Amino acid sequence: MNFKPLDPLLHSELRLAVMSLLIASEEAEFSYIKEQTGATAGNLSVQIDKLSTAGYIQVEKTFKGKKPCTLCRITAEGHTAFENYVKALRTYLRVK
Amino acid sequence: METIENNELTAERSLEIITKQIEQSRKAVSKSTGQALYVAGLSMMAMSIVIAITNYLTKTPLGHLLWFLLPLVIIWAQKKNKEREHAPVSLIGSLVGKTWWTFATFTLVFFLITIIWNSVAARLYQPDAYMLLRIRVTPIIVLLMGMTVTITGHILRSRWLVVFGFIAGIGTCLWEWLGISEALFIRVAGQSLSELGLVRPILHCFTYLLFAFFGMALPGYLLKRQRL
Repeated sequence: MNFKPLDPLLHSELRLAVMSLLIASEEAEFSYIKEQTGATAGNLSVQIDKLSTAGYIQVEKTFKGKKPCTLCRITAEGHTAFENYVKALRTYLRVK
Repeated sequence: METIENNELTAERSLEIITKQIEQSRKAVSKSTGQALYVAGLSMMAMSIVIAITNYLTKTPLGHLLWFLLPLVIIWAQKKNKEREHAPVSLIGSLVGKTWWTFATFTLVFFLITIIWNSVAARLYQPDAYMLLRIRVTPIIVLLMGMTVTITGHILRSRWLVVFGFIAGIGTCLWEWLGISEALFIRVAGQSLSELGLVRPILHCFTYLLFAFFGMALPGYLLKRQRL
């Protein structure tokens, strides 16, 4: 059986969790992602930065009322990368 | 809460993370919709009580015009709520929102047309003919609302929300159409049919109150508590 290579950027628990959350949403707030993953703000910031640098997600700093708010959105590139990651994963799991 | 670290992982663990996060996202949208339904239900219950009191004091059905304020009250309450919560914006959430906007727009237009038609018909026709020609607003509106709750349940894949919408919509439509409020009023208060005309505008409010509780506030509460 041929195992397809897994995208190293997505093959990390926290980054994969962030991408999975965003794949199911149009956009999500940083605080929501932090709440759902249980990660620390610092660690999450670093991982989001990596995903953003790779062009997988788009980060927008905005305001919610008077409070600052960071919004994350998955990009078309991110969608493709996630799709390829799941396809590759299926070869490891022997799913047809 | 289980913390997700950024370390290496197996294929099985990857699949578990993807499934778990997508499911969590779906739950967050359901919870947020439940909160919105709960707030809208409570607002509608409060509004039906205010309108019943207005109708009682003015001895006319004019209080029903206050229903036009309900969307404003709901929008204000949802805005306050959105500032507090962090629910993600998703296609499912947008679909639910658009479904309710469509319902609200069509209902308000229908309500407006009915008010105009019923006012004209009351002036043009004799009371007997008017009773046949008038459009009965309440059963149609609760039926439309029940339909919207049911569609929301289908979008969210919440079987219980579908059931609540179905029962509340059809139940309160039949309740109003068959005149159960009137029958109960005559029986309990011992009033005659001739006195019913004065209390009818108040009894319509009771139908809306029933729907708001069983079709919106209760399922909304259960949904936001993730019990549906």
